[in-house]
Amino acid sequence: MGRVAVAVVLHELQERARDRWVVVVTGLFALLAVGIAAYGSAAEDTAAVVMAPSLVTLAAFLVPLVALVLGHDAIVGERERHTLGLLMSLPVRRSEILVAKYVGRLIALVFAVVLGLGSAAVFLEAGQRGVVLSLLPPTLLLGAAFLSIGVLISTSTQRVATAASMAIAVWFLVVFAYDLGLLAALVATDGALSQDTITWAVVLNPAGLYRTALIARLVGDTALGDLGMAVQLPGIAARTAIWASWIALPLAVGALQLGRRKAVTA
Amino acid sequence: MDLCIDRLTVDFGSVLALENVSMDLHNGEVTVLAGPNGAGKSTLLSVLLGLIAPDRGQVRVNGRVAASAGRPSALWLREQLGYLPEAVAFSDNLSGRQVLRFFALARGVSSSRVEDMLERIGLSRAANRRVSTYSRGMRQRLGLGVAILHTPELLVLDEPTGGLDQQGLHLLWEVLEEWKSAGRLVAMSTHELALIERRATRVHVLVDGVLRASGTPAELRDKSGLPLEMRVGPGLDEVYEELIGAEEWAV
Repeated sequence: MGRVAVAVVLHELQERARDRWVVVVTGLFALLAVGIAAYGSAAEDTAAVVMAPSLVTLAAFLVPLVALVLGHDAIVGERERHTLGLLMSLPVRRSEILVAKYVGRLIALVFAVVLGLGSAAVFLEAGQRGVVLSLLPPTLLLGAAFLSIGVLISTSTQRVATAASMAIAVWFLVVFAYDLGLLAALVATDGALSQDTITWAVVLNPAGLYRTALIARLVGDTALGDLGMAVQLPGIAARTAIWASWIALPLAVGALQLGRRKAVTA
Repeated sequence: MDLCIDRLTVDFGSVLALENVSMDLHNGEVTVLAGPNGAGKSTLLSVLLGLIAPDRGQVRVNGRVAASAGRPSALWLREQLGYLPEAVAFSDNLSGRQVLRFFALARGVSSSRVEDMLERIGLSRAANRRVSTYSRGMRQRLGLGVAILHTPELLVLDEPTGGLDQQGLHLLWEVLEEWKSAGRLVAMSTHELALIERRATRVHVLVDGVLRASGTPAELRDKSGLPLEMRVGPGLDEVYEELIGAEEWAV
């Protein structure tokens, strides 16, 4: 990463620290995570058992939102503020600016996730703390994937308001409506879809992969069987490929769009 | 730095923003692009800056191709230029000092130069204030500070006088003289020719993406055929009005 890109990364961090939406959503995530942890640690038996899966469910909803909020205005925001021209006139490739913006925002996201899950871990006993902290890497992968989608939205739109609407729509469709769509497909086909088909349909969605992989790890494979999915999730290589694709592809498409744009500020 | 713009064409489909525009810019010159709105002045500057890839033609620097059809200007050219946009803007969340520090880091300039620059542009006392609290004139001065921070060989100024306060204008004249006397190059666009007249080495008049006339202010006066006045010649603003209204002009 060159001198200009490093400057852009640091600039992004400075800006994100003062972005009120990022602060609000990060704070909300931390607050709810602490609430779940406090409830889990105070209660005996069942509440303690479901605490980690509850945190997974919370993260599966909120981390994509934090990531999309972070990413959606990366380029379109600069364009709307009329700062993109000055930035793009620096001696650096357009794609490198995009990657630098992604990295800067990813560091802010890491901070948000560590703050959220870390705050929850503070309220737990050592054994449970380990379980919660083990959620960090997959949660960061989930965030990185949605951040990449957010950055792609920012290169594809002409106005911040459009980008924000699109980010919310993506969040709703991918995180909420996708599973409902699968259920509808099951009903419509009268259960003709095989377990493997359902499993692949779920894990190809980053939010679905995150949820199912962690719930299988925390609760056991039987939980997935109860959900109508194949007992065995795809192997680590397939899961790695899915994560890598969701992180790299949107970013690559965004870089291509920006690079091919004839007038970068238009 | 000798810069040659050779038959540059930029076509936005519905609009031909530049059509076969050629001009040479030489060391120690303040080159002014004049023309009405939509004439192609900013488009030409944007090609130099790498913000727009031309459809045809080339930009050469000392004989080396810096931009050509479908290829925005090279990084090595952008290393050597400083830019003040027309509506200069910065992140409202940052202070003036943070803005300059960002560009110093990006340009490989020492942080001590940031303090000197704040002093020079008259923003030392407002350095820690958010840019959102700055007046338009203060932002413009900050923009000029960003443009000259790394002492670029080519200074690109897009309508630099718009919004500048008296202090800013004085700074701008100082910078233009400094660049001229150091043998560096300035390329600027303006509507306000009367303001810039005495500082311009060469003026290129663009109308609808076509180069209508080129020359020193004195040469343009001669070409215009306008009657001389007591002040020696017509104001360049009048020449400009005449030029953009003329059907044909020798370049």
